[in-house]
This record gives sequence, C-alpha cells and structure tokens, in this order.
Amino acid sequence: MTGAEVLVPSVVSPLVVSLYKPAILVGLLTGFIGLLGIAFKKGDLTALILTDIVGFAMLIIVAAVATDLAEALVLPGLVVELAEILAISEVLMSREMRKTGKNVSLIPLPLSLDMEILETAPTFLAIILIAYGAFLSGFTGGAVAGVGILFYVLSRTIRGVPSTLWEGVAGISGVAWVLWLIGFLMFFVTPQYWLLALFLSAFGVLIKVASKVGLIGVLGREEFKREK
Amino acid sequence: MLDIYIWFYTGCALVILGSIGTVIGPGVKDPIVRTLNTEVAAVGLSMIFLSYNHTIALLTFVASTVIMTMILLRAIVRLEEMGAKV
Repeated sequence: MTGAEVLVPSVVSPLVVSLYKPAILVGLLTGFIGLLGIAFKKGDLTALILTDIVGFAMLIIVAAVATDLAEALVLPGLVVELAEILAISEVLMSREMRKTGKNVSLIPLPLSLDMEILETAPTFLAIILIAYGAFLSGFTGGAVAGVGILFYVLSRTIRGVPSTLWEGVAGISGVAWVLWLIGFLMFFVTPQYWLLALFLSAFGVLIKVASKVGLIGVLGREEFKREK
Repeated sequence: MLDIYIWFYTGCALVILGSIGTVIGPGVKDPIVRTLNTEVAAVGLSMIFLSYNHTIALLTFVASTVIMTMILLRAIVRLEEMGAKV
C-alpha cells in the first residue's frame, strides 16, 4: 500500500485516488463478464456485440487514471474500439456473403435521400459550417467543418467522383499530419514558441479531422449512387 | 449538491448490470435486443466519465457510441438478410 502511494503525483486529488481501486475492480469485472460471454455463447454476431462491452471495460480502466492523461488516452481508445468493431463486422459480412453467395444491399436501411434541403441549401450550409469549424479550430472545429464537407459532398447530384479528388484529399491529410507533428515537436524543442506550436497543432488537427469526415461523405455518395 | 460518489457508483452499477444484461439478459436471443442492452452499460460509462470530469472524452464517447450502434445494426440487418444463423 505504501509503495503504491509513492507513485501518485501530488497534483492528483485524493478523491480521484480514492476512486481508483473501485474503478479498476469494476473495469476488470466488466471485462471478465464480457469475455465469459464471448467464450460461452455461440455465434459470430454475439461475439461482435460483446466486443463492445469489452471495449467499455478498457475505457473504465483508462478513465480511472483520471487527470488530463486519462482524457488524452480515452480518445485513441475510442478510435481503436470503433475501428475494431467496424473491421470485425466487415469481415463477418464478407465471409457470410462468400459462403451463401448472396449479394445484399450495402446500406440496408430505409434511407431516402430525396429531400428538398439537399438540392437548395447545401452550399450555404456547408460554407457556414466550414467557416465556423475553421474559427473553432482543433478537434471540435475539424468535426464541424467535416460535417459541412460531408453534407456538401453527399448532397451533390453529380454522378461519380474524379479520382484526382481522392489523391488531393489524401495529400492534404498528409500535410496536416506533418503540421501536427511539427507543432508537437516544437512544444518540446523550443517551448518559447508555444503559441506557434499550438496553432500548428490546432490547424493540423482541424484539416486532418475535416478531411477524414469529408472522405466519409465521398464514400457515402458513391454507395448511395450505386444503390439507385 | 449531490455527492460525486453517487454518480460514480451509479455508473459502476449500471456498467455491471448492463454487461450482465447483454450476456444473459431477457430476450438476448434477438441480436437487436442484445445491441440495445449495451446502451445501459454505455450510460453507466458516461456517468463514470462525468464523475471524473472527462468532458472531451464524454463528448467523443457519445458520438462514437451512436456510430457503433449504427455499425452493429447494419451488420445485424445485412447478416439477417443473407439468412445467416445469428
């Protein structure tokens, strides 16, 4: 007990330290329940849904670290969990498709995109969203601007996407990644330029997230067009 | 002002109850019911984040839970359309 307490920095509030043990216990218990379910229940889909529960257990254990460190660690954890579930579900579906030889619709939801707003207002709304996103900057701004791009791309009725657009978006994304890395490096190498580093990171993340969300829009449009 | 322990332990109870409900809850033969049961655990986890003041993490978690539910429902509907044993 005394050995463990030496490692806790004094900035961590005692309240959070007192919550550490129950949180870790709950995390382990939840993970155990989820893994037991995966082990004893049969069926691929069951395992896929229970992966979600195991992901929650991971997030509880990360959250128990508390302070800003936990917040910084939860975000990649969420992304990894999302990617994991997406990948497993795609593998399950493609395997089943090969097994049965049946081909089903890509997005089997009764989703109709014949809305008035998609034809009259996309440019206006997209400009407002992108401008507001650029003003916000950072992760949140990237999400807002990305929604603007997604909305614009989804609502355009032009068929097909020029292949250069893909390469262009990928290139911008790469440049943004480099900006972000340079910003982070500057924090450590030349801390006196912290404001420049902050803005480099913020706008790097803005472009990165916005282009990623915009790519979803390009993908989504291709899929919707193929349906019709 | 409510005690922070109330939020934290309610969250813990919801996470454990929700995960048990997802594994052996009533009606989990239907995969859609099983998916909806994970939302109970998700609410519990949100409460734990809230009690730790993890605002950005909570926001991102809420957004990604929605996407995750959509992915799961899409997988379930597509697999059932193909006639797979679920």
